[in-house]
Amino acid sequence: MNIEMQIIREVNIQAENFYDDAIGFGNHAAYALRKEHRSQLTGLENIANSALKVADILDYIKRQTARSKESEGWRQSFPQAANQREAFGPALLRYLEEELHKKHNSIARRLGIGDQTDEDRQLRRSIYLHLIRQFVRQMVIQYEYWLTVGNGKKGA
Amino acid sequence: MPSLEQLQKIWNLSDTVLYPEAVAFIRRLVNEQECSPLPTSQVMGLLNIANARSYGELERFIRHQRERDWQESKKDIKTLYTELEKLLTTMKNRRLKDEFHLLREGLSSREARQESDELMAMLSREFIQHLVAENGLLALGQARRK
Repeated sequence: MNIEMQIIREVNIQAENFYDDAIGFGNHAAYALRKEHRSQLTGLENIANSALKVADILDYIKRQTARSKESEGWRQSFPQAANQREAFGPALLRYLEEELHKKHNSIARRLGIGDQTDEDRQLRRSIYLHLIRQFVRQMVIQYEYWLTVGNGKKGA
Repeated sequence: MPSLEQLQKIWNLSDTVLYPEAVAFIRRLVNEQECSPLPTSQVMGLLNIANARSYGELERFIRHQRERDWQESKKDIKTLYTELEKLLTTMKNRRLKDEFHLLREGLSSREARQESDELMAMLSREFIQHLVAENGLLALGQARRK
């Protein structure tokens, strides 16, 4: 199996492990962004799918958070979240920068990918981008599901 | 025009070097040196120049902003441009070749200068985009404290 296929396989395995987290973020997104701001979440999915760099995705989340009004949208916390005081944007940013960063490191280790050559760094970037794409995809599906089924008082 | 190999290196650098350095740069100014985040008008100006112009024009813009006689309440803007100018100068004069290994060998001095400018335009654009994104978050934090 070539290295790209191995990366996809490993990312799919990890995706099973972070599914519950993605569901939590999808619910948070539905509560905070509601139907009115769907384009901001699909915008994130588009950026994630087309970005060549992880930093472009992180910058997008920061920009959306900075544009939101106090306690609204990307700055809205969620009563059902583990940290009930953390707003959607900062929580998502932290998850991608910390949790998925750790996962991308562990996949790289498992596949024997170092960090000294340009090729290694490129493969690491590819792993990280694949992880974020999977996570955001799961999150957006849950967001749509929550809005349709109507689980949240604000999201319904 | 940078080669695909150079572009790949720049994308790697953007994620692993420029992003953390841009975040640390603006956080140090705001959190440690107690500067105000860059105001929206400056953010827009800096982004527009970085995205649309050559590196030479970006350098001139930053130098001009740094040399301006800012009123006391806006001295932080001068500090930011002074620090940004230093950082980009070091990147151009030293890091581009010695650390990033982005410059190709065997170019004439004119070609090397042109390549250096093209690469610096891309690197500075990346750095400024990351800086501006983090600046927006810091501005929120400061507004909340006021």
